[in-house]
Amino acid sequence: MTVQSLEAILLTGLVLGSLYALISTGLSMVWGTLRIFNFAYGSFMTVGAYVAWTIADKSALGAGIWLGVVIAIAVLIALGMLSERILIAPFIKRRDVALIAIITTLAASLFFENGAQILWGPRLKQLPAMVQGNVRFLGTMVDLQDVIVMISAPIVLGLVALFLYRTRLGRAIRAVEQNRDSALLAGVNVPLIYSLTFGFSAGLASVAGVILGITRFITPTMGDAPLLEAFIVVILGGLGSLGGTMVAAYIIALIEATCMTFLGLYWTPVVLFAIMILTLVFKPTGLFGKE
Amino acid sequence: MAYKLAAWMRMPRVLVVIVGIVLLIVFPLINTSEYLQHLVIVALLYAVLACNWDLTLGYAGVFNWAHIAFFALGAYAAGILAKSFGVSPWLCILAGAAVAVVASVLVCLPVLRVKGLYVALVTFAFGELCLHIVVSFSQYTGGSQGLVLIPPITIGSYSFMQNQDLGYYYLAVALFLASTVFLALVIRSHFGLSIMALRDYEDYAISRGVPLARQRLLTFMLSAIFTGATGAVYGFYLGVVSPELFGFGYTATLISMVLLGGISTLYGSVLGAFVLTFVSEFLVSLGPWRYVIVSSIIVGVLLFYPEGVYPGLQKLFRRLRVHAQPKPEDTVKGT
Repeated sequence: MTVQSLEAILLTGLVLGSLYALISTGLSMVWGTLRIFNFAYGSFMTVGAYVAWTIADKSALGAGIWLGVVIAIAVLIALGMLSERILIAPFIKRRDVALIAIITTLAASLFFENGAQILWGPRLKQLPAMVQGNVRFLGTMVDLQDVIVMISAPIVLGLVALFLYRTRLGRAIRAVEQNRDSALLAGVNVPLIYSLTFGFSAGLASVAGVILGITRFITPTMGDAPLLEAFIVVILGGLGSLGGTMVAAYIIALIEATCMTFLGLYWTPVVLFAIMILTLVFKPTGLFGKE
Repeated sequence: MAYKLAAWMRMPRVLVVIVGIVLLIVFPLINTSEYLQHLVIVALLYAVLACNWDLTLGYAGVFNWAHIAFFALGAYAAGILAKSFGVSPWLCILAGAAVAVVASVLVCLPVLRVKGLYVALVTFAFGELCLHIVVSFSQYTGGSQGLVLIPPITIGSYSFMQNQDLGYYYLAVALFLASTVFLALVIRSHFGLSIMALRDYEDYAISRGVPLARQRLLTFMLSAIFTGATGAVYGFYLGVVSPELFGFGYTATLISMVLLGGISTLYGSVLGAFVLTFVSEFLVSLGPWRYVIVSSIIVGVLLFYPEGVYPGLQKLFRRLRVHAQPKPEDTVKGT
């Protein structure tokens, strides 16, 4: 193996890892707090990207990408909270809520994907880049956009951590995550926290969607593949562990970059899903999850 | 009026079943629409898949997400054997069932170690794993394009495609009847009771000596047999097997059939399969609206009829029956 290919793998791994960290954080929050897997998470990314496009693109409102991001986050928080009221809240008392939630959120993802196709049409769209140009990094030319992705992941995750550890609301979310009943006894409005967590998660999804919409294309099904990547990352990272999710994102991305180089495009997902199964079987709490 | 309705409803179930079978057998003789016949074939095959999924999902209470993968693997196994190796279609159908059973054993081994939501995640990952392995072996499977030009089933010189797919129609009917009888026997058996006991009172069932691991493995294997065979028949019937068979679309369609019919109700799943096949066919012309409507139905059923529509109907019938029964004093007067 040459030094160049090693560098290329590392660089791809870093960019992909940042992207995966962004994509997985929201999913991990819901998994940790509500103990359900949100299959609609990918479609939240899609809707977020479309909303940002509508605000930002010249052929639509043309108000600029930054305003687009802000409005997309606001719309998605509202949409997420509404979804939780309809898809999760009515079933939350049931013993099999985790399984019902898979079905309802899967139905919701079909709803949003096809709804997006009705509203915005099946044609490819792309968000305008935030920055343009190349820089030298690790001895190779790197698209400045990739640098933005690499930097934005730690910033966004830092903000999320700040929110979870330093604000009253964030502490309430973590309290519910750690012990639902005790939080309830301490006066936390658990149903409201569930709803807000789902909303924040959707807001994070829209950030990920915008990044995907800039680096790739916006289509009604653009959220499907990233959703699967996020699943693998969250499982490997462990239940309700934000740091674990972040570390797992970079591990998975490095493994993926390595497999892409040596095994090719088609065998890489096989390896990743095998990792997911092995983790679930031998360490269901993930690398950094609590028992 | 209500009295007559009640009398009709008191008709023994055996009679309903016999009438249903006779209708299925004579249907091609009275029907001239090729399109309608196609829909019935698809509905029958979906019914087999939905009922078999209900065995793990409903009766055993195990959220086995890989069920659709058993179907797809059966279709691929049969398609590859028939196309690349020229194996007789009947052996291919058996091979489809066998491959599905092997896959069910493979997925069940990790499932035995985990519980609840993790079962769903492991089986989900297994399905994706199978999909990507199938796509990777593109020299046999056709990769992401799928397997095309699968030879049709023939007996001598008679192709099953002749007379508006008449052969496929009766094959689907036979498969449907065999699968339904098989499942009814399984559910009524000692084994069936034991998996329901494990579902409802796991600790108690285990303490009474029901072997959890063995029953779970058997449940997976039994539910895979007809699923794999149906995959094979589906592949022969359409002449195409594509990676889409693993997809969310099929999973969502099937799960809505099981839910609409009512979980843990064998005949409910049959009803759900027929109703949804026709409903979603009528919705095809609506494009993306189709899935918007189907997904709304799924959530709506879960919100308002959590037990499914079929048990709801049963309850309604029972209430009507009570109302329509002659009052006790009437009978006294009569005698």
